[in-house]
Order: sequence, then structure tokens, then C-alpha cells
Amino acid sequence: MSEQITPVSEEELHAYVDGTLSEERRAEVERALEQNPDLATRISDYFSLNSMFHERYDRVLNEPVPKRLQPGAPRRSRVAANWPQFAGMAAALVMGIGIGVGTHMGRDTLPSVVGSSDTRPVSADSTEVLARQAAVAHVVYMPAVDRPTDMNADHEQDFVKWLASRLGTNVHPPMLSKAGFALSGGRLLPGPDGDTAQFMYRGQNGERVTLCISRRKVNANTTAFKLYQDGPVNVFYWVDGDFGYAVSGGIDRKQLLQLSHDVYSQLTAAAPPSS
Amino acid sequence: MDVRDELMEHVPRLRRYARALINNRDLADDLVQDTLERALGRTEMFQAGTDLRAWLFTIMHNVFANQARKASSRAVHVAVDDESVHESEFAVPAQQSRSLEMRDLDYALQRLPVEQREVVLLVGLEEMSYADVALALNVPIGTVMSRLSRGRERLRALMAGSQPGAKLQVVR
Repeated sequence: MSEQITPVSEEELHAYVDGTLSEERRAEVERALEQNPDLATRISDYFSLNSMFHERYDRVLNEPVPKRLQPGAPRRSRVAANWPQFAGMAAALVMGIGIGVGTHMGRDTLPSVVGSSDTRPVSADSTEVLARQAAVAHVVYMPAVDRPTDMNADHEQDFVKWLASRLGTNVHPPMLSKAGFALSGGRLLPGPDGDTAQFMYRGQNGERVTLCISRRKVNANTTAFKLYQDGPVNVFYWVDGDFGYAVSGGIDRKQLLQLSHDVYSQLTAAAPPSS
Repeated sequence: MDVRDELMEHVPRLRRYARALINNRDLADDLVQDTLERALGRTEMFQAGTDLRAWLFTIMHNVFANQARKASSRAVHVAVDDESVHESEFAVPAQQSRSLEMRDLDYALQRLPVEQREVVLLVGLEEMSYADVALALNVPIGTVMSRLSRGRERLRALMAGSQPGAKLQVVR
């Protein structure tokens, strides 16, 4: 084998791939690789393997952490207790994620939050993180509401009360029935900057829209609507004082923008709902 | 900061590693949950100032090894070291779509012996140093190196098919 005539040890080859060789030794390994195409191929494959691991599994880092994996969280989440359908939704999430991603994205990846060349961020400021999370959450959680689960008044009230305590403010899911969308569920997602409330809506033709609201650590000035796009999912997002909002859906952008305006006007009560 | 809070910060990485190790979302999260529960039950054994992450990966390895032992006493498993399984069975035809290749990575990883899979992932995905991997797995560093070497070569063969020197196609 050609490897035997190279002065580079097997151990050093791996250390080269893993970036732990000294500068000097690295140069020597590179010279050896130049003279040995087979070895160079092998080493390049090892590099490829490492990048494939990241490409394949880094997405897990951006998935919302399930309740059961949150240390200190009560064994049974309070949401599930107050709102039994959540238990079913969580199960559906676990089972349905592969399917959901397949059908909604039409490709093999979750809307990968890091370095996906398919994403076209409109701007790179910190609020965009919310938009990205919202897009991910939209795709990840929407399969859970395949069965229309109309939120009845009692559940809704429990949830709203519970949300209020978690987010430290009164949050009422806006009503989008005028635009043809009915509230079908809600959940609280853990995020790096704290919890995000997610409301799910269904349209008359089964189209889905989600609204994410998260409390921001840094109070920012109110911003204009911005668009974030990831595959077929459009997200309009904006910041209003302490809160960031994101409306996501795989629907026509104009319609989504109209919904975003409805949400905005209801949440701020600054203006009567347009339309 | 409380150890409990610190644990939380490591959960995404534990999940990523478990997912690559087990390739089943439910079972991988079960492993993370078992790991966290054990860690929370033993926080007094954690020495402040040492590497919490390494400690967690050690616990996870122990939990995983225990489960693997129990499972193998119950069920018949395909011996992944079995040379009678032709690696060409898992060959990737040259012009495959990327998604197939990526699914193939899951599959190829599952064909690696557990010991090699752990090392290949701790080094390649978690980017742990060889010394840390040796600590986490409680084996000599020479063992880490030989598992890494065999594991990578085997994975490469599984991914590239049986054509010698075939290049892997996926690089970002």
C-alpha cells in the first residue's frame, strides 16, 4: 500500500483532518498528500464525512427542545394538563415531523437555520432570528394540526392565562376570522431568548398560518414589516417595543401581508382592523 | 448559574449527538432524557469548574452502553462487524440525489459498530479532542485512535460503495 511509504502516521492523518496538527507538521502532511493521490482522496473523504455530519445533524440544534427534555420543567407540562389536546399534539409532532417536513418543504431538510443557501434573508439583524425560528416552527408544528382541533372557549382562556404568566404580559390571540382563518391551537416554544407563544390558524381550504410572539430581551424600536422567506414558507415579522411578532405561512404573500396587518392592528389596538 | 440551568444549555447538542447515534427521534430523545435524569440525580458528583459537557457525554455514553447491553441480551442483532455483509449493498450510485445520500449517511452510520460510531461522531460532529473522547468513553487514547481510524474508513467505504477510491459526492 502506498500509505506505508509515506512518513505520515495514520494517527497524524486523522489529526490533520481534525485540525489538531502543528502548523509545521501540517505542511508536511500536505506535501505527502500532493505526492499520493489515493491518500489525498481518502483524506478528502474524511473531511467530507465531517461536513456531512454537520450538514445532516446540525439542524437538531435548532429544533425546539421538547418539554420533557427541559430540566426543571414539571414532569407533566402544565399546558398539557390544562389543555389535553397538547398531549396529542406533542405525540403527533414526534411522529409527524418527517412527514410534515416532506410535505411542506418538498425537500429533505428542515428549513435549516444555519447557512442554508436556499434561504434568502432580507436583512441580517437580530429580529431575523425570530423570523427564522417562526419559519422552522411553522414547518415543524403545523402537521400537528392536521386534524382540525377547534380551540374551544375554555381551553382558549386557560391557555391565554397561562401564556400571560409565562410571557409576563397579556397576550390574546388575534381573531382572523374576517380573513377566513380560525384559531386552531397554540403552544409555547422555548427559544434562546425566552419563550415564544405560537398560535395556529386554519383557513377555509385547509391552509395554515402561524403567529409567533416572543418577548425580546432588548427593547427595540418599532420596526416596519419585514419579509423572510425560506423555501415555500413566507414570514412577515416585526418588532413592537418589547415584543417580536412573526406571521408564517405557505400562502400567497399578499394574503399573508394582509393577515399580518390584521394581527398588528389587533395586537396594538392602534388602529381598527383594516378590511 | 445553577447546574440545572447549565444543563439546559447542553440539551441541543446532546440531542444532536443522540440523533446521529441512534437515528430515531423518539429513541434519541429518550436517551437524552435518561441522561439528563441521571445527571440531575448526581449533580453533587459534578465538580464545579470542570467541563460539564464532557461529564454529560460520559453519562450519555454509560446510559447508552447499558441500554445496548440490555437490548442485545433480548434481541438478535445483525452483527455490524460481520464481514459477510457486503458493503456494496449500501453503495451509493454515482448520480443520486442529495437527500438520498443524506439518508444514506444515517444508514451507513447505523452499520458501524457502536464503539466506532461513538468515536467518529464525538470527533467529527462534536469536535471533541481525542483526549476528551478517551475520557468520556473511559478507554485509552490509543483505542480512540484505532476506532476512529477503522470507523472512518468503514464509513467511507459504506458511503462510497465498493469502488476503490470512489470519491464522496457530498461536500456542502
